[in-house]
Amino acid sequence: MDTTVYVPADQPAPAPGGAARAVRARSLTKTYGKGEATVRALDGVDVDFEQGRFTAIMGPSGSGKSTLMHLLAGLDSATSGQAFLGSTEITGLNDKALTRLRRDRVGFVFQQFNLLPMFTAEQNITLPVELAGGTADKAWFDTLVDTLGLAGRLTHRPGELSGGQQQRVAIARALIAQPDVVFADEPTGNLDSRSGAEVLSFLRRSVRELGRTIIMVTHDPSAAAYADRAVLIADGRIAGDISDPTPESAMAGLDALRTLEPEVTTRRSGAGA
Amino acid sequence: MATSFPAARLTLAQMRRSAGRLASAGVAIAIGTAFVAATLLAGNVITSTTYGQVAAALADADLAVLDDNLSLTEADLDAARGVEGVAAADAQETSYTELNHGGKSVYQQIIAVASDERLMPLELSDGAWPAAKDEVALPPDVADRLGVEIGDVVTSSRWVIDDEPTTFDDGSEGYDGHDVAEKLTLTGLVDDPYAAYAGTGGAAVMSQAALAQRVTDGLEPGTERTVGAILVALDPAADPAAVDEALAAAVPAATDVTTSEAYAEKQVAQMSGGDTIFLVFVMAFAAVALVVAGLVIANTFQVLVAQRARTLALLRCVGATTGQLYRSVLLEAAVLGTLASLTGIVIGAALVQGGLMIAPTFDLGMPLPEAINLTTPVFVAPLAVGIVVTLAAALAPALAAARVAPLAALRPSDAPNLRKGAGRLRAVLATLMTLGGLALLGVGVALALEGELEIGLMATVGGGSMSLIGVIVGSVFWLPKVTAGIGRLVGTAGPSARLAAANTLRNPRRTAATSTALLIGVTLVGTMTTGAATARVAMDDELNAMYPVDVQISTAISDGEQEAAMAPAVTDAISGVAGLRGTAEVTSLYVETSDSRWPEIQTTVASPDDLRAVVNNPERFDRLQQGTLVVPEQLAKHHELEGLDEIELTGPGGKTTLDIATIDMQYGSAFMVPQDFQAIYPDLRANMIWAGVADGEDAADTFAAVQDAVSTTDEAVEVAGAVVDRNSFQQLIDVILGIVVGLLAVAVVIALIGVANTLSLSVIERNRESAMLRAIGLSKGQLRATLAIEGMLIAGVGAVLGVVLGLLYGWAGSATALAGIGQVTLVVPWAEIALILGVALLAGLVASVVPARAAVRTHPVAALAAE
Repeated sequence: MDTTVYVPADQPAPAPGGAARAVRARSLTKTYGKGEATVRALDGVDVDFEQGRFTAIMGPSGSGKSTLMHLLAGLDSATSGQAFLGSTEITGLNDKALTRLRRDRVGFVFQQFNLLPMFTAEQNITLPVELAGGTADKAWFDTLVDTLGLAGRLTHRPGELSGGQQQRVAIARALIAQPDVVFADEPTGNLDSRSGAEVLSFLRRSVRELGRTIIMVTHDPSAAAYADRAVLIADGRIAGDISDPTPESAMAGLDALRTLEPEVTTRRSGAGA
Repeated sequence: MATSFPAARLTLAQMRRSAGRLASAGVAIAIGTAFVAATLLAGNVITSTTYGQVAAALADADLAVLDDNLSLTEADLDAARGVEGVAAADAQETSYTELNHGGKSVYQQIIAVASDERLMPLELSDGAWPAAKDEVALPPDVADRLGVEIGDVVTSSRWVIDDEPTTFDDGSEGYDGHDVAEKLTLTGLVDDPYAAYAGTGGAAVMSQAALAQRVTDGLEPGTERTVGAILVALDPAADPAAVDEALAAAVPAATDVTTSEAYAEKQVAQMSGGDTIFLVFVMAFAAVALVVAGLVIANTFQVLVAQRARTLALLRCVGATTGQLYRSVLLEAAVLGTLASLTGIVIGAALVQGGLMIAPTFDLGMPLPEAINLTTPVFVAPLAVGIVVTLAAALAPALAAARVAPLAALRPSDAPNLRKGAGRLRAVLATLMTLGGLALLGVGVALALEGELEIGLMATVGGGSMSLIGVIVGSVFWLPKVTAGIGRLVGTAGPSARLAAANTLRNPRRTAATSTALLIGVTLVGTMTTGAATARVAMDDELNAMYPVDVQISTAISDGEQEAAMAPAVTDAISGVAGLRGTAEVTSLYVETSDSRWPEIQTTVASPDDLRAVVNNPERFDRLQQGTLVVPEQLAKHHELEGLDEIELTGPGGKTTLDIATIDMQYGSAFMVPQDFQAIYPDLRANMIWAGVADGEDAADTFAAVQDAVSTTDEAVEVAGAVVDRNSFQQLIDVILGIVVGLLAVAVVIALIGVANTLSLSVIERNRESAMLRAIGLSKGQLRATLAIEGMLIAGVGAVLGVVLGLLYGWAGSATALAGIGQVTLVVPWAEIALILGVALLAGLVASVVPARAAVRTHPVAALAAE
């Protein structure tokens, strides 16, 4: 069953179904430089991400997928447009409010894992809660450790863990504060394919079994296939939307973006099937 | 040499990239070399100032007749005066006296009025030159201090050798002496325009006859007074060369006849031993500063090499030899050392020049040169020292750089690990030195307590230095553990503190080196502070024992064998002084005994009730009663009279036998009651007044009030007491402590630059980590706090350990050095310790400001970047 639905890039890509929106972007634009040298990294993007789902943002290098994530996560400020986390508009918040928002409502999984080498796995996992001045919910911590298969590794330091184990610790860290949304930036980029598959399965289980919301940026179609939905992005605009992507459909979507000239991409839609 | 070209290019390129980091390390070396340069320049200033003073004392003399054996006599002087072409000739001769007026006294050098004004370094500013034997001219500040004006009378007391030999207690025969006090009339005030006597507190002037008399009185009978130099002024028409020859012929005892300039140079050369000691003393502190600077440099290079590990590995991959990498780091160190040392020399020269320029605004009483004298050593020594220290500090990092494996370039991990752990040899060496040094320290203290003061002191200093070196060398093993312990405590304070504590443990070697740099300075400051505090308390104890009362007023004029009776006017004046809790009339004299071992005893006579009202430890005199001679323990011990029960005393009035009671006291006089005393000396009146300062009154103020009261009577009396000595001791201790701590402060400042440097380097290394923490919710304030706590932890650990070591060394040192004066109470200078720790923590905090500013600039997005 081919569920691929291509929508015009100019129009919003509404989330299918009636689920509540975890993250929304409206005319979100980011430009770098001035005058002649202006680069539009993100060009009036409208997109919604539903709660309790695993969404992949896909696109080739330089497509603007990372910029989109930075803006949605409150890591960077938009040139114009709005970004919402739930009902909170995050565009326009100052650094202090953004820091609080990231601490309390957003989780991150990085390509480089970014664990603190001097802390144990357990200390790394509970770090965000401690930064907020609280203590980790024991039951939730145990659930995460169980789900991610980290029970025997809690006293290890990152240097004593494999890449896949480190990334699972990072996922647990991202989920410990029960954030509204977790952003994962190329989480398998530094892993071999077996560990990568394992990490992606864990991300999917976090969504299915623990009810979390995850938005993953990737350029890898087989990674995107673990998601419930893939949003395609090219040249700073939404270029497609695939429900329940398979490696093949995701690859096909990406191929379509690559074979089209930029100006054609913006005009044509639905082509490539 | 062909291979060195790319290496040099590479070095310079890497230096440009690391310019900021190298610059802050260079500051450490620059401060150290500035210290060395400034010390050498100050030495030059001292030498030229000394020359100025010596030359000034020769006034406008043309020639000097010298005798290295100091045997020129009055006859030689007359012979010199008789030489054709000599206008005037005077012996270069001085004497000393204690001048006293109105309870104030000044110890003063005296020179004679010259026979020609060309031979007189002083100028008369008011009044007339003294002519009679009982006349004197004084420097204006001395007259001020004594409170006298021209025409007033001052009392001069001096030691006069007896005409007949005496048989001493130990059976030997020799000439004893006695104090003689004379009244002198002030005839004039003298200025010292060329600061000839500025170094010795100015000079009083008396007639040549009076000075000759005083010098002769101080010699044993039959000894002729002689001098080492006769200064000569020539007739205007005389030929110096001819007179020179004539003088040599006229004074055969002379070893040399020379110009006054040559004589001044000769004297300065003889005195430069003192300058050398000064230079060695200050250079010791410069050396400490340079060692600390070396630690900072070594640390910086370690970190730079670690951060460049990937580049270095890449270079190895493409064919660089280990030698090239090794030389590249050393070349970098040499360039850094040269630039920093040159900067340091400029700074040092500027500081001394600046000091010379502002010096005239303070009245130092001596002319200083206007400009510094840039001799070759001033330039070469700091440069050489700076380069050598930098190169030495870079040796280990250079070796580490050479050891980076080519494979490291291919590893995906962050900076490849350099050397892991420290060598076993180092651990053994450090342990041996620490334990051996501490043992030697203990032996030194024990030896000193046994009375072997000099050997004990040498052992203590040697043991202390050795154990400190051991501690420094071994710090990499144990200091991280201490940091971990303190970090755990600190870590409970919150997430920032926990992050900071964990961060300090990531590079134990780096943290240890940074803390150690601070530890060195703090240990030495702590040692000096503890030593000073202990010495202060010991001096207090000693003075309390020496002076049973706060204020002692005695007649300055002796009347034959005994001191004159106290004038009733003085007694009246003192009774009017507020702030005294009581006064007692006391008679102090030597009483003869029938015991041949102890022919006379210094005895203080006072009624027990009066005495108890004024002394500081009344309970000591509980056993003073009729029929008893109270003898301080030390005095009894000195005369080997312990165990003696009674003693017979004799005097003009007859004999009396008293029981002996020893008391725990260090005073040099026995005590008896007036009733017993009258039996042997029926006529003698009190010659001293003892007074106690009332509780709550300021001792120094009350002492001054007593001096003022006494001065209104015009009687010649001396006011003495623990207060004066305590003040001068404390001033001495404070001045020495101030100078030493000031010199050590340089090392501490360098160490703090090291803390800032280490933090900056860590911030650069942890850039991605800081970004991740910011991304997951660490606020800018928390990030700043993390670095501030890390800085305070590094500085605090060094300071705490330094203070502990300082206490240990300070106690050991003062127990040894002060062993001679008895039991030493070990003192903890809490206020100073709090100050040291406070300064260290504050400095750690300040050191974190700049690195923290860089850290919070890190954008959270940086955590997401792939490389």
